[in-house]
Amino acid sequence: MAAEEHAAESMGMIEKVHHNLNIWHIPQEPWHLGSIGGFPIDLNPSTIIFTWVAMGLVLLLGFFFVRGANVRQPTKMQTMFEMVLDFLRGLVDDNMDKKKGDEIFSLVITFFLFITMCNIVGLVPSMMAPTADVQTTAAFAVITFVMMFYMGIKHKGGKYFAHYLKPYPFFLPITILEDLAKPVTLAFRLFGNMKGKEIMIYALLALITGIPWACGGFTASVVWLGFGLFVSFIQAFIFTMLTIAYIGMACADDH
Amino acid sequence: MLEFNATFFAQLFHFVVLLVLLRIFVYKPVLNIIEERRKLVADNIASAEQQRAEAEKLKAEYEAEMQKAREEARNIIDRATKAAEEQAQEIIEQAKAEALRQKEAALSDIQREKDKAIAELRDQVASLAVLVARKVTRDGLTVEAHDRLVQDAVKEVGQLQ
Repeated sequence: MAAEEHAAESMGMIEKVHHNLNIWHIPQEPWHLGSIGGFPIDLNPSTIIFTWVAMGLVLLLGFFFVRGANVRQPTKMQTMFEMVLDFLRGLVDDNMDKKKGDEIFSLVITFFLFITMCNIVGLVPSMMAPTADVQTTAAFAVITFVMMFYMGIKHKGGKYFAHYLKPYPFFLPITILEDLAKPVTLAFRLFGNMKGKEIMIYALLALITGIPWACGGFTASVVWLGFGLFVSFIQAFIFTMLTIAYIGMACADDH
Repeated sequence: MLEFNATFFAQLFHFVVLLVLLRIFVYKPVLNIIEERRKLVADNIASAEQQRAEAEKLKAEYEAEMQKAREEARNIIDRATKAAEEQAQEIIEQAKAEALRQKEAALSDIQREKDKAIAELRDQVASLAVLVARKVTRDGLTVEAHDRLVQDAVKEVGQLQ
């Protein structure tokens, strides 16, 4: 009984912090923008708004990367960006040949930059990581899923589907499940990490504001933000890496 | 927490928009720059290699020429040394011959002077003898005194030899 009450109380506390932190007065209920063919157009306001914020920041960062960029004397930002590009290019080249790598490279960089920025946006208390909404991560995962088929069919034609029957035709259900599991795990891994990080931020803030005897709250919160930054980069990297690996496997030449 | 609505499609749209914008405004310029730099570096390396090969060729040529020049110099020095030695030998021999010649000339001079002196002395002795004889004949002379006189004169002349 006591444990349940305590749980309810602390849940209420987290929601209270969540509510108090909503200093931008972003509505918590979905926007209803009518419907198309009976399908309602409902949007989650905070997800959409912070996606725009993240997009704006990525574009701003891109602007700084490119500004003053030249061949002989790279600016600091340009050098940093080129290091990231080199790193990602190395990952892509490890998984597929150069021509295929060229085709998906833009996608890979965008995944990395955008997911990293979405994750980091969520570190600012009062703001929400768009990736802490499963719809965002699902959208990204679906893009990877579609690219898998696109690249597979483009480079192998109809033979791409032969891999469902390998090593034996009766593995068909398992291989189909395996392919379906890819986008689902991609989406939920990123979503779970970011949602967890967000809930921990609220919980630790609740410790500071709500329960005076837990004076470790502030330190813990700072430590958690540092860890959150680390997790943000790692999850973006994992998502990008798995995207490269899945697409690489889909369009790999048969041995 | 896991409700799906149109946000999903909005996020797909957002991603595609961002991809297109970044591709146009960021990736293209930066990748072009990277490509240009790669080309620049490759060109530099190629030209450096070419220049190095040329430099090595030049170096080999210069070394060969240097070797030739050194040999020529050695030949010239050898020849000069040999010529100098020969000249020195010649000068020494000439000097020796000259010395010999001068010595002989001196000796012959001495001999001539001596002969001349003896001849003169003989003349003088003769005239002296005549003088003495005249004096003796005018003043008178004992036999002993005459003898002694003659003896002295002969001794004197003998000592002159």
